[in-house]
Amino acid sequence: MPKRLEMIVNLLGILLLSGEAAFAKATTGEIQSPTEAWNHTWDDVLWDLWIIGGVFTIVAVYLLIRYRARSPGAVGTARPLNLDMALAWALVPAAIFMADDFFLAAKGWSLWNIQRQVPRDAMEVKVTGYQWYFEYDYGNGITDSELVVPVGRPIVLRMTSKDVIHSFGLTEYRLKEDMMPGRVTYLWFYPEKPLETQVVCVEFCGTSHAEMYNKVRAVPKAEYDAWLSKKLERKKKAELRKSQAADDGANVEPAQ
Amino acid sequence: MTTATEFAPAPRRSGIKEWIFTTDHKRIGILYLVGAMAAFVVAGIMGLGIRIEQMSPGESGLINYFVGDFAQTMTTGAAYNAALYFHGAAMILAFLIPALTGFAANYLVPLMIGAPDVAFPRINALSLWLFYAAILVALLTFVIPDKPDIMWTGYPPYSITTSANTAFYVFTVHLIGFASILGAVNFLITIIYMRAPGMGWNKMNMFVWTTFGAFVIQIVFVPVLAAAVTLLLLDKYVGTGFFDPTRGGDVLLYQNLFWFYSHPAVYVIFLPAIGLLFDIIATQAKNYIFNYKAAVYGGILGIVVITGEVWVHHLYIAGMPNWISIGMMVTTLLISVPVGLILISLWGTLYKGAITYNVSMWYAVVCLFLILAGGLTGIPLAITSLTVHLSETSFVHAHFHFIMGLMATFAVFAAVYHWFPKMTGRSADIPIAKIAFWFTVIGSQVTFLPLFLIGIKGMPRRYWDYAMFPEFEPYHLIATFGSALVAVGVTLMIVGWIYAAFRGPKVSTNPWNSKSLEWTHTESPPGPGNFQRPVRVDESWTPYNYN
Amino acid sequence: MRTFILSSAACLVVATLTCAILADDAHAQYFRKPASDLDPHIMLIDEEAVLGAKIDGQTLLIDQNGKEFRWAEMLGKPTILVLAYYTCDGSCSLINASLAGLLNDVKIVAPGPDFRILTLSFDRHDNLATTGAFRKHLDLVGPLNDHWTFATFKSEADLAAQTEKIGFKFFWSPEDRVFLHPGAFLFFSPEGRLIRVLYQGSVSGRDVELALLDAKQGQFRPGEVINFALSLCYSYSYQDGKYVLSIPIVIGLGALGIGLATLFGSMLFYKFSTRTKPTKDGSHAEAA
Repeated sequence: MPKRLEMIVNLLGILLLSGEAAFAKATTGEIQSPTEAWNHTWDDVLWDLWIIGGVFTIVAVYLLIRYRARSPGAVGTARPLNLDMALAWALVPAAIFMADDFFLAAKGWSLWNIQRQVPRDAMEVKVTGYQWYFEYDYGNGITDSELVVPVGRPIVLRMTSKDVIHSFGLTEYRLKEDMMPGRVTYLWFYPEKPLETQVVCVEFCGTSHAEMYNKVRAVPKAEYDAWLSKKLERKKKAELRKSQAADDGANVEPAQ
Repeated sequence: MTTATEFAPAPRRSGIKEWIFTTDHKRIGILYLVGAMAAFVVAGIMGLGIRIEQMSPGESGLINYFVGDFAQTMTTGAAYNAALYFHGAAMILAFLIPALTGFAANYLVPLMIGAPDVAFPRINALSLWLFYAAILVALLTFVIPDKPDIMWTGYPPYSITTSANTAFYVFTVHLIGFASILGAVNFLITIIYMRAPGMGWNKMNMFVWTTFGAFVIQIVFVPVLAAAVTLLLLDKYVGTGFFDPTRGGDVLLYQNLFWFYSHPAVYVIFLPAIGLLFDIIATQAKNYIFNYKAAVYGGILGIVVITGEVWVHHLYIAGMPNWISIGMMVTTLLISVPVGLILISLWGTLYKGAITYNVSMWYAVVCLFLILAGGLTGIPLAITSLTVHLSETSFVHAHFHFIMGLMATFAVFAAVYHWFPKMTGRSADIPIAKIAFWFTVIGSQVTFLPLFLIGIKGMPRRYWDYAMFPEFEPYHLIATFGSALVAVGVTLMIVGWIYAAFRGPKVSTNPWNSKSLEWTHTESPPGPGNFQRPVRVDESWTPYNYN
Repeated sequence: MRTFILSSAACLVVATLTCAILADDAHAQYFRKPASDLDPHIMLIDEEAVLGAKIDGQTLLIDQNGKEFRWAEMLGKPTILVLAYYTCDGSCSLINASLAGLLNDVKIVAPGPDFRILTLSFDRHDNLATTGAFRKHLDLVGPLNDHWTFATFKSEADLAAQTEKIGFKFFWSPEDRVFLHPGAFLFFSPEGRLIRVLYQGSVSGRDVELALLDAKQGQFRPGEVINFALSLCYSYSYQDGKYVLSIPIVIGLGALGIGLATLFGSMLFYKFSTRTKPTKDGSHAEAA
């Protein structure tokens, strides 16, 4: 009984999988958001779990009630399985479990491909982890302590750490990846609509591990451009001030 | 048959000395249980502290008291991390592994195979006292000012750059590891060479088989962990650069070495726990083990073979090469085959049985559902891409608590109740045990089910504060309430055990009418040398032959 | 006898220590110091800042035959990039020649099927004639000649953008009439990300080999399992600028060996010890 049910489930699963492959083909060229793909895969896998769990639970409850001892001193009436039955009860379930495993593995792999294959025109931001904050480098010398990105464009983060291992946890986007000293890792996400959320550090990094987080804002393109130019302006001003200060310092020093 | 009282451990000269210098596997087993339960209680109190701190965002300051920082010199984060370190390290290294491969294996294996003792009784005693030394080193956490805060995983570079004490972590691992290797040598040889005449491999109790599997894993993999933490020690205190990337080290290598042992360690816990369940359930259902050979050769040995090839599922988000991640996803998922065979065998053992229920069996029944819940929630965590979101969340935390924190722990409790008459001649199945059971079981579900839910939504692990996720507060509140129920349950249970050991109702030598050697061929508790006559079993005997 | 062992052990320890100290000294003396008055550090590429940076595949380059191509066409395999200028008669040909020499020592991967080599000029004055002359002077043969491209940037803006992206700095020194620049070999992944920087003079063929394996970014084919294993046995030391044997992995494997040896050793020991004689069915014989 549990065998047959699972067989049906797996057949259904295989059908689903082939359907999904067709779907993936139909949408080549379009960017598939890893976030949506995660939610989708999670729902499918959850069904698989509920069905397996349900079958085992129902069978267990039935057996536990049905085979209570009817009288004190009663013993079980089962006999050891003969060879054929023993083999059948080993090989058939093994085959079913393996089928389910490969079904799940295939599903997981296709999602993994989406998660790891960065679209060509992705915007790149360099992220560096410190105890206990993230630093974002937008290129052109612009750095900031929050991640601001334009919507409608895939974003790839090139990540490393300056001290201990951190992990970049984009909860709302269903993504995370470790940041390690001496290694460069990456992670991409696709903000399709404006969203203000946060990134949290999810690899234990010390006393303030729980306080290592910052805002992640996906904003319309125009707003992003305005934000970026403001940053650029501020940076130029700061540089100007710095060079003036340096000049002043140079003038002062010989006097000492 | 002699009555139980005649063989009760009658102190000859000095009671304490008898126990300290004992080489008797039964006493060593009981001492393991005492030590493991002590560690369980302290680590459990830390767990309670963790839950209290997480009850609401922001700091409560209470966690400092839990770790012995009464002067409040530590920050909440530091105190919380110390509590978390102790909880994890002690529960795994000083409770689960010693309770299952120390207490249960020591007490039951020689009795189940009809041997007078283990192969090397003195080495057995040595490994017991190494275990106690490890507990003492672990307990020093509460005394020293620089409490270890590196979690039980101890990932570098943090474990090297932290100002806290990494050495005590390393020493605890060394001592437990050494004790484990000695125990493994001892038990493997005992099982291979000391079975009663006539007891072929296919007639061994399931618990003996699972212990065999667990110790093969221990002996092969423990040295790797010991080596990894030793390198950590050298990096931190001698100044080598084994894990320092600027000096040619690699931070990921430690994680690989660590999980190369520590994932198999999960099966060192899982296998004996399952073995105990098999023996309890077969005894209470008065039935054959369903498809014994499939469970043993497919299930137990299957796990032993696969377990060394799955560790990368702990490193899915660490930027490992794709093909390793995908390959290990497949091997990890394939663990469902041996585990599935074991589950079918467990379920089938109930089929056509004559089940009688007692506290021990109740715990065993709960374990059946815990294996399901814990095992099935492991499936998304085996899938590389789903783990990208789920890893390091309280989903993972709840998953391994279901398997190790609840299933394996309840299996230990069930075993204590089941073999209590064997150890003491008295029954622990008294009313207080039943009350304790309900508190513990309901409390544990109230604690961990909310954590699954917020884990899916992304609640990170190892957070003492979650200011960025205020919406999770109700869940944490419920979980903390559940942990209080567990605390009440466990307290009542231990009180019940202590009471029953001295005042519990006396029971016959074989109260469950088991067919296993430890019940049929010796007294309760067994005297020195276990059996009055050498045991020999005949052709038709199996420990599960009831009809 | 015992004193002999002790004293030789002591000698050994002293000798090892001396070697270590001497080696450290030599290391400090010669390590990565270009012969220039310039602060050597500003000439080095700041790896931490630029590792993982991706060059723009759309950049237009012109090869030694005058053919225009996009950088992306050269990707798909690991690439070794050398930045030089073709009118330089000293260090640049030295850098390229030394790479050629190192590549002759590389045995497990081959130019062409496994990786490509690209020399790019950062001097905007370089043209087809200077490129050809430089290449002729280098006198490459065999597969190196076939798979080594010498090219120039088409646009000056691209030159500035791409060299800045990978942290490559160079200055014109008017008094010496030469460019000052690092003698670096830059290793790119198949998708064009900077994976490793090695410096001419301080590395061996083995380092180049390992950097090429690194540049594969774990994308090994099943037939390359030995290469993969090799890449695991070494790890890069940022401080030394070269690859060193990864001791933890050796120790880890050793520990695994100890575990297995304990398992089988203890079984053998018990089997041959006289205390108990195992009988045929594997059980122990009872004492009389």
